[in-house]
Amino acid sequence: MHVVLAAQFGLAGGNLIAQIAIFLIVYKILEKKAFGPIIAMLEQRKQRIAEGEAKLEKIATDLAAAEANAQAILNKANDSAARMVKEADDSAKALKETRAQEAIHEASQILAKAREAAQLEKEQLSSQLKQEFGRMVSDATARVTGKVLNSDDQSRINQETAAQVSA
Amino acid sequence: MSLPFSHSVSLPFMLAAHGVSPEAMPLAGFITNSIFVALIVMGLIMWVSTKATTGMTLVPHKWQNFFELIIEFLYNQVEGIVGKKVAPTAFPLLATLFIFILVSNWFGLLPGVGTIGWGEGPGMFTLTEVETPLFRPVTADINATLGMTLVVFGFWIYLTLREVGVMGFLKHTFGAKGGLTGIMGLVMAVIFFLVGLIEVFSILLRNLTLPMRLYGNVYAGENVLHTMSSMLADKGPLVSFLGAVALPLPFYFMELLVGILQAMVFTLLTAVYIKLSTEHGDEHGEEHHH
Repeated sequence: MHVVLAAQFGLAGGNLIAQIAIFLIVYKILEKKAFGPIIAMLEQRKQRIAEGEAKLEKIATDLAAAEANAQAILNKANDSAARMVKEADDSAKALKETRAQEAIHEASQILAKAREAAQLEKEQLSSQLKQEFGRMVSDATARVTGKVLNSDDQSRINQETAAQVSA
Repeated sequence: MSLPFSHSVSLPFMLAAHGVSPEAMPLAGFITNSIFVALIVMGLIMWVSTKATTGMTLVPHKWQNFFELIIEFLYNQVEGIVGKKVAPTAFPLLATLFIFILVSNWFGLLPGVGTIGWGEGPGMFTLTEVETPLFRPVTADINATLGMTLVVFGFWIYLTLREVGVMGFLKHTFGAKGGLTGIMGLVMAVIFFLVGLIEVFSILLRNLTLPMRLYGNVYAGENVLHTMSSMLADKGPLVSFLGAVALPLPFYFMELLVGILQAMVFTLLTAVYIKLSTEHGDEHGEEHHH
């Protein structure tokens, strides 16, 4: 009865073996030629992606370190520049002060020299004026008195005139 | 008009019906119309897989990408069921099952499969009924579904013995659980031995349920399409033509779904059977612990 039922469903030994053989052929060929290489390729790609991710992470870490380093260098440069500017400023102020003192000193010296020269000139002019005035007084005296004055008279008149002019 | 249970007609028989002597093809005795389609399906799968795996690169080409998509999806599914350890061994068979059954099921829906052949008719290229079709869906042949099941069963025995050994399998199937001793332990041992016998019977029964489920679904689908196509056959040429086109159309979509569903059912059940028999006691403990 079972045999009849199986035959009714079309079950046949030869056909069954043929179907098993076909399926096994497909299985073996797919296993060797398709699944193996494709799974290897998927694995390789997964590994590449993992490597890429690791590299990316390392690059990000390096970038952060480089940025921190650059910032530190920048901060150091800023500090250095600020210090140099301050030093230059201080130096400029000191130089300015020195130059100002020197200028004041020079100006004082020039002024003193000018005063000395003016005083000397004044004295010279005063002396010349006294001499001229004395000479004019002597001349006027000689003309008024009609007397020729000797050198003692002239000297005395000049001295008296000079003393009066000075007073 | 429903189909008989089997339309598996051998090639020499088909040719003999049309004047060619069977002795002319002595080696083709085992080639039936469903085996003929199985060979076409095999060729189709080989062609696509060769196209996909030729000149593979890390940046995949179109066919490689398509095949990788399927294989990666299947591998993740298989690994999720049978576990990381057994997956590399079990995957090729399970993936072949899925691909072969799916392509066979869908190939059976192509116009011409089951409708081109020999039979009685009023004129040339016009038949009232196709008695010996040239093409039959592979999975509508019990030889194909049973053949795959026997391969699965052999592979299941190999994997089970490799993973747990004969004693492990016997202990897993017949061994008493619960750790009871004394009289209760003896009673439990007898009960678990009987449960083991039932388990062995259910394992053997898989060789019937797996092929019959697939065969029955595909064969029934073929029958539905056939019935729908010929429902208005006696209403005149125009109505008959329109009926043959329009009536089976919704069922074609259903059969597309059934095709992929049955491929998944067959593959997943096989994966579950492998999982059930190859899982180790320590993994059990870990799973419970988690």
